[in-house]
Amino acid sequence: MDFIIGYSSQRLGDCNMISRLLILGLNIIILATLLGAYGLIVGDNGLIGVSASMGLVGGVLVIYSSAPVEASTSSLMSYTGTLVNAVTSTLEDLDLLDSNICSIRKRDMYLLVFSKVPCPLRVDPGIGFTGGSPYLAIPIEPLPIETPGSSSELSDKAIEDQLRSILVDELSICKSVRVESESGLYRVQISGLNEQLREYVEYPVDPYTIITLSTITQITPMNCTRLINRVNIPDGILLVTRVEEVTE
Amino acid sequence: MEYYSSLGLRRLQSRVALFTLLYSFMNALSATTLYLLGEVRVDVYVSLNILAYYISYATLRPPTSSIRVRVLNGALIALFIVIAGYRVYEVLTH
Repeated sequence: MDFIIGYSSQRLGDCNMISRLLILGLNIIILATLLGAYGLIVGDNGLIGVSASMGLVGGVLVIYSSAPVEASTSSLMSYTGTLVNAVTSTLEDLDLLDSNICSIRKRDMYLLVFSKVPCPLRVDPGIGFTGGSPYLAIPIEPLPIETPGSSSELSDKAIEDQLRSILVDELSICKSVRVESESGLYRVQISGLNEQLREYVEYPVDPYTIITLSTITQITPMNCTRLINRVNIPDGILLVTRVEEVTE
Repeated sequence: MEYYSSLGLRRLQSRVALFTLLYSFMNALSATTLYLLGEVRVDVYVSLNILAYYISYATLRPPTSSIRVRVLNGALIALFIVIAGYRVYEVLTH
């Protein structure tokens, strides 16, 4: 059930391959530089050409070593499939299919909560009752993001940058992210969804919603981020969220 | 979880490693051949390298949606256009 743990362990698994590629690329660049220098000294343009070509290969390897990889999506899809099946069955049993979804921060813990009560704080990981309604709370591993300063007003740009960094640069599961704020609401437009993950947008829980809610909760000083609306748009999804400070 | 992780890693290794292998092999072959033929124009080496990159890329389709890879693709195609444009300009002016 722990969504982000799977992603983290997969990233650790990739490290070996990626660092080997990086070392290989850097070595090739060093060799190309030496060869180019030798070519310049002896005045052999052919050697300079060979070194330029080698340098390009090294550069390509270095860039590929730092680029997100397809396996992230593959693993993310497996985790999402498992999560969606488990959560959907549980929500059906609890009669929570039309419930509110929110992400809350409780002490140092982040929880994704499904409940008919908006933003309940008296919840523990798992299933329980709060405010006379059942709830399902799933713990979320904090994402490796930089938390901005302690300003009470969170800028659209800060959220947009963090979401783009995770969804586009790290995971490559969409092509663009745009965030606009409007009377206390944050409208997050995610476009160019990954073809394999697009089908999960129809389910009660999907990776885009989870990552968006948990990221906003993590970088905002408020302790609750509530999903107000989720709309499918051409080539994407529009999430309307509200950030709130809730007291127990 | 471990099963999925290892499965993902194997796929990653096969795709990226194959791309790297094919690209490096094609590049080594073209650079060696050009050098043995006595080619001294640096841009010929670079343009053949870029062609080798795109052939490998189109054949094996390594991860494409990353911004870094997209920037690299754009930069390489721009460099190729500049080299080809310069050669065409040279032919036309002589």
